[in-house]
Amino acid sequence: MHFTGKDVDQYVQQQEYVDTAVVPLVQLDLSAGGLKPSASASDYLQSLTNLLEKQFKGRVLLFPPLSYSKMADRARIAGEISGELSKTAFKHVFYVTTDPEWRAIEEAPNVIWLPAIPTENMDQSFKLSVMEDQLRQVLPVFLKEWSKPS
Amino acid sequence: MSNNRVSRRQFLGYTLTGVGGFMAAGMLMPMVRFAVDPILQQHDAGDFILTDTAVADLSEEPVRVDFAYEQVDAWYTSEVTSSAWVYKEGDKLVALSPVCKHLGCTVNWAADPEHPTQFFCPCHAGRYEKNGQNVAGTPPLGPLDEFEVEERDGFVALGAVKANTIV
Repeated sequence: MHFTGKDVDQYVQQQEYVDTAVVPLVQLDLSAGGLKPSASASDYLQSLTNLLEKQFKGRVLLFPPLSYSKMADRARIAGEISGELSKTAFKHVFYVTTDPEWRAIEEAPNVIWLPAIPTENMDQSFKLSVMEDQLRQVLPVFLKEWSKPS
Repeated sequence: MSNNRVSRRQFLGYTLTGVGGFMAAGMLMPMVRFAVDPILQQHDAGDFILTDTAVADLSEEPVRVDFAYEQVDAWYTSEVTSSAWVYKEGDKLVALSPVCKHLGCTVNWAADPEHPTQFFCPCHAGRYEKNGQNVAGTPPLGPLDEFEVEERDGFVALGAVKANTIV
């Protein structure tokens, strides 16, 4: 489900089934050299998380991408967002990002880090097949987490 | 000669009838045209989306057929990619929607090793028979939806989604 009024209405009714939150983390690097890769990575991450939402619509609530500046204190961001998420009934929280610095942050467990693939020059069907390959790497992480006895 | 003369009264009568008739026709014609418009509406085949899967390649085993169409949502036009599970039942084509009837996840054919001849939803372990019938005891409450499907020049063409008719 997406973080929209309509889907959240449904989420509120079906909380026992929708037990997983997905938070995309997007780094904004607006320096002259970083602008393009940053935009491309953001596009990649949003395509991927949308595809993920389509596959797991009934169990996952996809949050809007959380954007932060390059020098942001990632530990603080992670602490704040998990504090906010603790008010909800989610049993599993995943952070999806292309920013390698998150791998060292202990406040955010379950970080799925993927290297960004620039997709802007691909044609539609090739892009889709690339994104589905990427998705296939992510799906087992979710299935493994869900099959864990809680 | 004088017998054929049109009297003033007659002349006025003809004129008024003529003009009144034009005015009435002017009002009635658009109304009639509006009323019959739905019948004259052309239903062209554009409702079907041609996919690039050849009918000859299909078997009784469901395969995933992807297709794309444009969707306009207010001011935002996007290309939506979607898919269907298509197989042959005798000579007939069957196309099932991959959207789980429970909460809308995407179901996959034979994704669960324990049930290789069923559709499986990874979210809450919902299962469906090959014809889309939901397996009792799993979360889904209804059978998978069906696509209108037809063969066009040897390729699969998919139409609107409708409630399952083969269960």
